Amino acid sequence: MRKQVLLAGMIMMVYCVRAQYAGYKIVSDAANFKAQFATASQKINTIKSDFVQEKELSMLSEKIISKGKFLFKKENAVRMEYSQPFQYLMIINGSKIYVKDSQKENKISAKSNKLFEQINKIMMDCVNGSALSSSDFTVKIFEGSDTFLAELSPVNKNLKTLFKNINLVVAKKGYAVTKIEMHEPSGDNTTISFVNREMNVTLPDALFAIN
Amino acid sequence: MRYLLLISTAVGLLACSGPYKAMWKGTADMSCVQLFKPVFTTALYNTKVNVIGRHLSGLLIIKTMPDSSTRIVFSNEAGFKFFDFGFSGNDFNVYYIYKEMDKKAVIKTLRKDFQLVLMNNLNLTDSYLLKSNNSDTNYSYYTFRQGKDHYYYITDSLCQKLIRMERGSSRKPVMSAIAENFNQGIPDTIGITHSNFNFDIGLKRIYNYAEK
Repeated sequence: MRKQVLLAGMIMMVYCVRAQYAGYKIVSDAANFKAQFATASQKINTIKSDFVQEKELSMLSEKIISKGKFLFKKENAVRMEYSQPFQYLMIINGSKIYVKDSQKENKISAKSNKLFEQINKIMMDCVNGSALSSSDFTVKIFEGSDTFLAELSPVNKNLKTLFKNINLVVAKKGYAVTKIEMHEPSGDNTTISFVNREMNVTLPDALFAIN
Repeated sequence: MRYLLLISTAVGLLACSGPYKAMWKGTADMSCVQLFKPVFTTALYNTKVNVIGRHLSGLLIIKTMPDSSTRIVFSNEAGFKFFDFGFSGNDFNVYYIYKEMDKKAVIKTLRKDFQLVLMNNLNLTDSYLLKSNNSDTNYSYYTFRQGKDHYYYITDSLCQKLIRMERGSSRKPVMSAIAENFNQGIPDTIGITHSNFNFDIGLKRIYNYAEK
C-alpha cells in the first residue's frame, strides 16, 4: 500500500512539473544543456538588440510596457536605453552603475547600494548565462519545441524576498537568451523580451564608459 | 540692549506661533473641497524623488480598485518594486515594501503625504475654516483634523481653485503639495515638498504606457 501511495505521489509530481509550463517538459540531462549553453555563450562577444519590457501588476490587473535598446559587451558591460514611454539610461560596467533619467544623472557603486548590486548581478548573470551555474540559484531546465526554459529559483533569503523565480527562455537555435522573466513572490512579474538581436557587432567601449 | 532683547523675543514668539495662528476662523461649506478630489481610475506617473541628497527615479501607478480602495505601487524603471500601498478610508495596508525602505517613519510619512493628495479620508465633522490675513490673496484654508495632524486645502476666496495642500500641526505646516492640470479628474502633475527635512516627490503623468 505504501509503495502504491509513493508511486502515485511520484506520478503526481511528474505531472505537476510537466504542467508547470505549457508546451514544455522537464529535461533530465540539465548538464548537457548547460554545457551547450556555455559553449554558445563563449562565442558571444557583443549583443545588440531592441527590447520590450512588460511589468505586470497582477493584483491591479495592469501592464506597463516600455521599450528601448539593449547592448552587451563581454565580460560584464550592459547598456539599457529606455525610449518609450519614458527616457531612462542604465549602464552597468563591472561594479559601476550609471543611471540617467530626464532630470539627473547618477553614478552608483554597486557595492554601496544593495538594490543596484542585486540588479547588476542578476542582469549580468542572466545575459551571460552564468546564472545557470551560480550558487545563488537552483536550476531546472525545461524543453519546448523551439526553446528551452531555464527556471532559476533563488537560494538565499534576500533574493527570495525579491523573486520567486527567474526564467530564461533560450532559443534552441544558437542558444541565445530571448526572454528574461522575473517572477515576484506577490505574483507580479517583469518580462524583458529581446527582438532584432544581432551578435558580435562592433560596439565601441565608449557606449559603456562610466567616467 | 533691552530693545534688541524685546525684538528678538517678539520674533521668537511669532516664529513659535506659526502661520496658521495668525489667521482668523471663518465659516463655509467645508464639503466644497470635494470638488478638487482626484478621481484616479488608473494613472501612471514618471516619478522623481529627492531625499537627503539622494536622487531616485521610477514609475508610480495609482489605481482605484473595484472595492473603491486606492492602490499606489512604486517601482524603478527596470521593474524592481519599492512599495505597494493600499488606502481605503481610514484603513491603510502595506502590501509590499522593499527591505531597505521598511522603516516606520518612512511608511508613516508616505502614508500621510499620499492621503493628503488622495483626499480620501476627510472628516467633515472635525473640520474648520481659516482665512488668511493677507489682503492680496485672501485664501481660504479648509482644515481637516486627523488625530494630531491637520490637513489644509488652500483655495481662492470662492473655493473655485485649489492653490495648494498642506499638512502640519495647528500652528505650522511640515509639508505642502500641489496637484495641477486635471484631465478627466486625474492630475497631470503632482508635487510634494517637505519643509522640515530635505524630501520631495515629483510626479508627471505618462500616457499610452500599455500599448505594444
